Amino acid sequence: MNILDDMGAPEEPTMPYFGSEETVKELKRALSNPHVQADRLRYKNYITKVIRYMTQGLDVSALFMDMVKASATVDIVQKKLVYLYMCTYASDKPDLALLAINTLRKDCADPNPMVRGLALRNMCNFRMPGMPEYIEQPIVAGLRDKASYVRRVAVLGCAKMHSLQPNTDIDGSIVNELYALLRDPDPVVLVNCLRALEEILKDEGGVVINKPIAHHLLNRMKDLDSWAQSEVLTFLLRYRPRSDDELFDILSLLDAFLQSAHAHVAVATLRLFLHLASAHPAVQADALLRTSAPLLATCGAASRELRFAGLCHVQQVMRSQPGLFATHYKRFFCGYSEPSYIKFRKMEILVELVNDENVALVLEELRSYCTDVSPELAQAAIAAIGRIARTYSEKCLDILTGLLALKQDHITSAVIQTFRDLVWFCPQSTAAVCQTVEACVDNPQDSEGKQALLWLLGEHGEQISSAPYVMEGYIDGLKTELSSAVKMELLSASVKMFLCRPAETQDMLGRLLHYYIEEESDMCVRDRALLYYRVLQRGVEETRKVVTGPKSDPSMSVLTGRQEEPISLWASTFNTLGPLSGWDLCLQTAVISASEPSGSAENELLPGSTDVTLSSPNDTQEEISLSLGPPLSHETFEKMWLDLEILHRQTLGFPRPKTAPDTLQAALQLVKIQTLAFTPGDAVPWKAYLYTRGTGTLILAELLQEDPDAPDSEGSLVVSVKQQPGNQQTIRGFVLILKSVLQTLNVDPL
Amino acid sequence: MIHSLFLINNGGDLFLEKHWKSVISRSVCDYFFEAREKAVEPDNVPPVIRTPHHYLINIYREKIFFVSVIQTEVPPLFVIEFLHRVAETFQDYFGECSETTIKDNVVIVYELLEEMLDNGFPLATESNILKELIRPPTILRSVVNTITGSSNVGETLPTGQLSTIPWRRAGVKYTNNEAYFDVVEEIDAILDKSGTTVFAEIQGVVDACVKLSGMPDLTLSFMNPRLLDDVSFHPCVRYKRWESERVISFIPPDGNFQLMSYHISAQNLVAIPVYVKQNISFFETGSSGRLDITVGPKQTMGKTVECLVVTVHMPKVVLSANLNATQGTYNYDPVTKILVWDIGKLNPQKFPNLKGSLSLQSGAPKPEENPSLNIDLKIQQLAISGLKVNRLDMYGEKYKPFKGVKYVTKAGKFQVRT
Repeated sequence: MNILDDMGAPEEPTMPYFGSEETVKELKRALSNPHVQADRLRYKNYITKVIRYMTQGLDVSALFMDMVKASATVDIVQKKLVYLYMCTYASDKPDLALLAINTLRKDCADPNPMVRGLALRNMCNFRMPGMPEYIEQPIVAGLRDKASYVRRVAVLGCAKMHSLQPNTDIDGSIVNELYALLRDPDPVVLVNCLRALEEILKDEGGVVINKPIAHHLLNRMKDLDSWAQSEVLTFLLRYRPRSDDELFDILSLLDAFLQSAHAHVAVATLRLFLHLASAHPAVQADALLRTSAPLLATCGAASRELRFAGLCHVQQVMRSQPGLFATHYKRFFCGYSEPSYIKFRKMEILVELVNDENVALVLEELRSYCTDVSPELAQAAIAAIGRIARTYSEKCLDILTGLLALKQDHITSAVIQTFRDLVWFCPQSTAAVCQTVEACVDNPQDSEGKQALLWLLGEHGEQISSAPYVMEGYIDGLKTELSSAVKMELLSASVKMFLCRPAETQDMLGRLLHYYIEEESDMCVRDRALLYYRVLQRGVEETRKVVTGPKSDPSMSVLTGRQEEPISLWASTFNTLGPLSGWDLCLQTAVISASEPSGSAENELLPGSTDVTLSSPNDTQEEISLSLGPPLSHETFEKMWLDLEILHRQTLGFPRPKTAPDTLQAALQLVKIQTLAFTPGDAVPWKAYLYTRGTGTLILAELLQEDPDAPDSEGSLVVSVKQQPGNQQTIRGFVLILKSVLQTLNVDPL
Repeated sequence: MIHSLFLINNGGDLFLEKHWKSVISRSVCDYFFEAREKAVEPDNVPPVIRTPHHYLINIYREKIFFVSVIQTEVPPLFVIEFLHRVAETFQDYFGECSETTIKDNVVIVYELLEEMLDNGFPLATESNILKELIRPPTILRSVVNTITGSSNVGETLPTGQLSTIPWRRAGVKYTNNEAYFDVVEEIDAILDKSGTTVFAEIQGVVDACVKLSGMPDLTLSFMNPRLLDDVSFHPCVRYKRWESERVISFIPPDGNFQLMSYHISAQNLVAIPVYVKQNISFFETGSSGRLDITVGPKQTMGKTVECLVVTVHMPKVVLSANLNATQGTYNYDPVTKILVWDIGKLNPQKFPNLKGSLSLQSGAPKPEENPSLNIDLKIQQLAISGLKVNRLDMYGEKYKPFKGVKYVTKAGKFQVRT
């Protein structure tokens, strides 16, 4: 065997999983061959081969003993390779790994700092029980090493050691040593200390940033690399300056970082600015203005992922300052080859920044996206035009009408859906929409489009002269209709049309009801048909009272229109993963979908149900009005619950009502408090989580009842309230309402 | 912070994994594969994917997905930028960042990943510090190493770690002291059918290669610094002096680095170097279409346009193209539906033209949208914004350095709508 044979290794095993035993045996033979061991080069080539197999997923753990022997070498690369091998298999072969520890401990005392650091790092990476007792002493020695390279490794080693024994007490001496090392001259050691402390003290709320530490960090900022800067800025969020003077000193120190070459530093600085200056809106506005340039630059970066992240951040900033980017609208025009996730974001931004000057060009641009090859993008563009139409209806209606002429199924459907939403929000566009719908000859083919068209026909049948004929077409084809949502909509629409144009509709409504009651297999549809049938039996006027409701809701446009939200609403999620992965977006779309007329009959059957004003059972002195607002998801609730602090805790002085959970939920809903979750049955401790909105704040609450038989509990309910943003008065009002509801339930013999 | 890294190729093979904390099973990538499948095109995979226990943040570069696994809340830009830094480091070390080079250099890749992150935190990412820790492979050195058995690892610690200026190592010595600056500008533009500019901006960078002994203190000034409205600098630049005097004063890192980057977005300042006259049409009947493209110089400031390439993403129904180019060569790939016309140098006397017919799938409806053209080009010795370096002065050292400035203009995202 010659040297060249040994080196052509990587191509041989095309299928690493087959014949692996043979390969391992052969390697074992080679590694234990004294001739190979004597030839440094050949020996190393075999070791490289082992690593290659390992990375391909072949199990070479059987070679552990031979590899441990190979670690006794002066060649650093060979050492690195062997260490890599040992870290991978140490947890599988803990008994053998112990043999390697001696070599590693010896290396920790090597004169070369690189070897010391390397050995220490790898020793800390061994993930097996019993490690801490071996590594503690080298780590402590490493913390005092004269080479910064070793100190860096040792500091993180403390965190690794802690994670190996998560349930033991925190070693106070190490924590103190780490706090002391924050003063280390090497910037990386400093940051590693923060990182390690954060991990070790996780259960106690992480590393403490007090005044001396905060000022020390601020002074060292310029020595740090960009990654460290970004992390330090995040840590500094925990610090509250004592006075305004101190605050402005800090801000002026950080000023230059707002325009850092690294987007992540600029954004982290902005977040800190917004957080620190929460009481100084002018400072916040100035910071936003100054970061707009780096943010825009990120939106134009070469990497599409950076561009995407930049856009998400711009979107958040625009929630408070929609005008900030209005003059730069051209930056948000979509390039042909951009991925769709970027295009979607850009369209959302374009909708938000429209103003009188740029509306013509933005619409022109959006129009050209409506014919995009991807139907999803085309529909999103049409929906975007629909959103703009709420402010600039005339121009948008022209475009939308023009799109119908293209006779593309997906475009027609999207346009009709947009029309439906538009009519609901801007009643003044109704006449124009009805005219267009009448002139539109081909009907949408997908179920969302059909529902939208049926809703329009039913709601505004008197303005569309051909409505009954279109409706008849659907009723004739009802046997082929599969979607139950469309069937429901068809029913509601026919009944509504019957009320405004009885002569033309009576016959087909009869056929429709007959078919649905006699032959329909979908129980929901059948029940709905029966319901309408019974309502119709009570007479036309009765039916009209029940079925017809408001045809539009102009007040909605105030809600969904562009409103400048306070910065505090989004500052806490700025520069976090949430907005990029979509939960923040879900929240926003939930607001829209909750306010949209989804055509659900429940709303129409109870006209004005949303307007019913509910006062709390026994009127309290402090008038506060609660509202449910958009639903909160469990994840959002959980995240906010963990993020916020308890502002108010009170023992209510009576046990929980022994009513059925449904009753409790319904009663709370009556006073606009939503129940999110509660402990089922009579389990102890019993808990319930509630939320509501009032005077511009979101209130989260927890009801807790300890075991009544427990010695130190009075068996009484305890309520803990968290709120964002804080408002003590609202909390008092909320607790009073909650208390009265629970008391009422306790009294009622249900 | 960054828990693990998986490298996945275009075909969905996971070919490298590295864990900085406990080992996370490969099965976490299933969420990524799900998103990958849903996205159809690899470009469309969203950068942040949420899974029940982790976040997956990925970037797609050179046909490789760099998928990182995150367990705690992190600033997303931080991770994305870091992943790009990893990819750039591979490119720097191996000349290109591809699956083959990564597999061939797997040992160095692991060494690099080990030094760049520890316990999931970024450690050494500056290229000139990394290169002292781990020497990049060169053909000559790998031959020498094979014969002598010596390694590619620096035997001593990087001296930069001891210097008072973190980005520069102490005791640098060169026999030839030289400082070169490259001003590179990319034009991002969208032109509409009639050739009017819908949107245009310039993204510029100044790359430097400084090999000077000792601790030189440099000052670079521009003839027209007011052009630059949006600049960001390497940490070595003294920002206060830029704010007050509009000069760039700095102690440079040793070797290659990016001194500054800037944007010019005022549209009247962005010159469009070429014009494109195009006519692409599809006929209602006969399953065919016509294509006629002419490219000519517009505002080139007397310089020659080179490496001119026109790329057209044709609609799916286009089966083949029968064209005639007066200059350069064209190639239509019927699988990817991409037409590439490689023109080369733009001849200012006789404008290159590409003309002919397209044949469509018979029976298919005529495409509703005309394809856009992407233009690629290069102009040597010109910064299209007109930015010019005035002078470079050196203080703090006695010798006389050799100085040079080069200008290049390239097309970035340059697109013509039809």
